[in-house]
Formats: sequence, C-alpha cells, structure tokens
Amino acid sequence: MPDEKNIISVTDITRRIKGVLERGFSEVWVQGEISNCKLHTSGHMYFTLKDEGAQLSAVMWRSRVGQLLFRPSDGLKVIVRGNITVYEPRGNYQINCLQLQPVGAGELQLAFDRLEQKLSAEGLFDEDHKKTLPSYPQKIGIVTSPTGAAIQDMLNVLARRFPALEVIIAPVKVQGIGAAEEIAQAIRDLNSLPGIEVIIVGRGGGSLEDLWAFNEEIVARAIYSSAVPIVSAVGHEIDFSISDFVADLRAPTPSAAAELVVKDKNEIIDILRNFSYTIQNIVINRVQSSKEKVHTLVGSYSFNRPLDLFRQRGQLIDDLEHRLQQSTAHRLGMVRQQVQSFSKRVRSVDPQLTLKRGYAIVYRNDTIVPSAADVSEKDRITVRFHDGSAESIVEFVQKKK
Amino acid sequence: MRQTVAPAKKEASKRTFEQSLSRLEKIVDSLEQGETPLESAIALYEEGIALSKECMETLSKAELKVKKLSKDMNSKIELMDLE
Repeated sequence: MPDEKNIISVTDITRRIKGVLERGFSEVWVQGEISNCKLHTSGHMYFTLKDEGAQLSAVMWRSRVGQLLFRPSDGLKVIVRGNITVYEPRGNYQINCLQLQPVGAGELQLAFDRLEQKLSAEGLFDEDHKKTLPSYPQKIGIVTSPTGAAIQDMLNVLARRFPALEVIIAPVKVQGIGAAEEIAQAIRDLNSLPGIEVIIVGRGGGSLEDLWAFNEEIVARAIYSSAVPIVSAVGHEIDFSISDFVADLRAPTPSAAAELVVKDKNEIIDILRNFSYTIQNIVINRVQSSKEKVHTLVGSYSFNRPLDLFRQRGQLIDDLEHRLQQSTAHRLGMVRQQVQSFSKRVRSVDPQLTLKRGYAIVYRNDTIVPSAADVSEKDRITVRFHDGSAESIVEFVQKKK
Repeated sequence: MRQTVAPAKKEASKRTFEQSLSRLEKIVDSLEQGETPLESAIALYEEGIALSKECMETLSKAELKVKKLSKDMNSKIELMDLE
C-alpha cells in the first residue's frame, strides 16, 4: 500500500487532468468527420468528431453555432478550431468548437451556396442598397495583404492612371484563421477615417479555400454596413465571392478594381483640352458676332437718323448764315448808298458853296439874321463871305412890301 | 435643362479636383447655351481656362501618396508612410 498521503481523490485527479489538458490544448486544429450531430433545443450543438482510429466528443455553444455559414451534418469532413475542456462530473474531455470549416471544394461550395441564399433573402445583395462610386475620388482605401502581388498591381495602376490620389492601405491577412475578422475590422477602420471616398477590398488569385475569407458572413456584413462605397476584387475573373455580391461594385481582379475606381488622367486631360477649346471658340464667336452687331447698328438708318438730323440742322444754319450775310450785305449797300446820297445832299447845302456863289450870311451877336425885319438902323452886324467877313453898321432898313 | 452660371466672385481657395471639374463642366454648359451676357461670358471663359489649367497641373504634377493604417497598443488608428 502506498503512503496514505500519496492517495488522492477522484475529484483531485480529475482536476489535475483538467489542468493538464486545458493548458496543453488551449488552441488546436482538428480535422475529422462529423457524426452523431445533435442540435439541442438550448441552441448548443453536440457531435462526435472521428476518423479511422479515434473519436472525440465535441460541443459548439449556441453563440458560435449562430455564426456558422452551413449546417453541419453527419459525414461532413470539417476542420475544427477549439480548445479541449474537461467536464468533471462525468470525467469526459471534449473539444469546445470555436470555429468550424468544411473541408474540400464540394463542401465549401455548399457553404457558399447556403450563405448566398441566406444573405440574398436578407436583402444584402439588393441593387437599391448599392452606392454609386465617386467619379474623381482623391482618397481611397485598400483592404488587402500588404505583401501580395495584388497591392503592387493596384498601386501601379493607380499611379499610372490617376496619381492625384491618396491611398490608405489597411493591411490584413487575406487567408487563414482570423482573416475574415481582420478584413471586416479593416473595413470598419477605414470607415472611421475622414475623407475616404471608396474602398477596394480584395486579394489575388488562389484556391477556393484561399479565397474563403471573402465568403464569410462577417465580411459580407461589414461590406453591407460600410458607409463608403466598396469595390470587391477577389481572385481572378472566374472567381465569384460573397463579397462580390454584397459590394457596390465587383471587379474581376484587383488591377481591374484600381482601373474602375479612377479615370485615366490622359482621358481627363483630353476632356480638359476639349473644354478649353470649346469655351474659347464660344467666346471668340460671341465677341466676333457682338462686333458685327455693333457694326450693323452703326450702319443702320435709325442709328444714323440723329446724325442726319444734326447734319440737316447744320445745313440750315449754314443756309441761314448765308442768307443773313446776304441780307446784311444788301442792307449795308443800301445804307452806303443812302449815306452817299445824304453826303451829296449835305454837300449841296454847304453854306460855303452858296457863299462862293456870291451869297453872304448876316450875323448879329453871332446869331444868323435871316430877315430884314430882324435888323434896325445902327445895328452892328457881321457879313460873312466865303473867304472872310465885314463888320458893318446898318444905315437903312428897307423891307419888301 | 436651362441654367445659367454666374461668374465666381473670387477664386475658390480650396476646391477638390472633382469640384473644379464639375464647375468647369457647368461653365462649358452655360457658355454653350449662349444665354449669358457677354461680360459674364468673358469672365466665365477666364475662370474656365484657369480651372482647366489648375486641373491639368494637378494631374501632371501629382504623385501617388500611399499610407498604411496601423493600430497602436490602445487600438487607436494611426497612419504611417509606406516604407
């Protein structure tokens, strides 16, 4: 018999086993075939994972079951990600399934079809929900692997076609465990940045398994919820993914996505040249036709009518002036004649001339004495001749009877 | 659709490429309709030529700017230049 202190209880050993197992298998990937699959009314799912040599109890809690893209069924080969737990009351160990992926193309296709039907029924692929891409984005986001050929292809195309661009790469794992979560988070992250106008989500070609992350519901929902328009570019032309259906635009390849997102700068330059040429022609024509209009107006009868009137007035004035001159000249001539005739007459009454003819003028006290009646005897008078005078005394006055 | 465009009072300080281009398109449309007065047409023409030049320069001089999104320890988003 061993020492009593080395004896432990069932509870103790189970607890130790639990510690060893749970620490030792905290994250494992196990491939096997599902059997005995039961979905409990509680929502939890119980099944057995088996292969030729062994079997393993498995449980998937309700919250995880809800995330499944497909309904696990007996005979389906799957890869389980999970951890080993020990259920002490029954001394059982089991795998707690966190994630379940079907193995093989057939099964993946099945899962794909189911998710497609489910999301389609929910309206995630509806055309009404699709956003229009901006014509000339200046800031775009790219969700892809930072190391793949896809990112280089996209950057090359963008730099060549439309370099006036800011590109923000959200680097993600594009395949394997956690890829879908990273892609979904990157879409949300880019949405939280200001000014991003369109997002390309994609990766280069690969097997259906490689592309699987883009067929995950979590990615589909992130794309659907994105406020920024999303272009999905997964694999090659022939590959269709769930993200293609949800996205606002599907591009056959990552390079094609880059081409769809930006216009070719040479095309834009052509458009700009065309614009410049057009508006230049229009304005030159407008100026030319305006000039012609002005010319026509200047030459028109109505425009020249005021000028005509003006000219007519001018003529009238000239005419009046002429007539004025004429009439003035006439009047002057007449006046001149009159003056001449007057001066003749005046000259004809010049007393000097009369005196020369033998007449004399009689003055008394410097006053002309025109009548014999005006003088008396002994008056002193002056007799003026044309060439002198004689002081005289009246001796005798004889008046005419 | 008929719409006339008034010449811009001042040169817009900071327009995006798309805004410049759509403004240019509007100017071309408006001039093509031929309903703007001659003075405005000439002003629009000058503005259009300037916009076109600006857009061409943007295209011919620009270089692709690439940044990488990363997160710090508090999951705060940072943008880093691509090495």
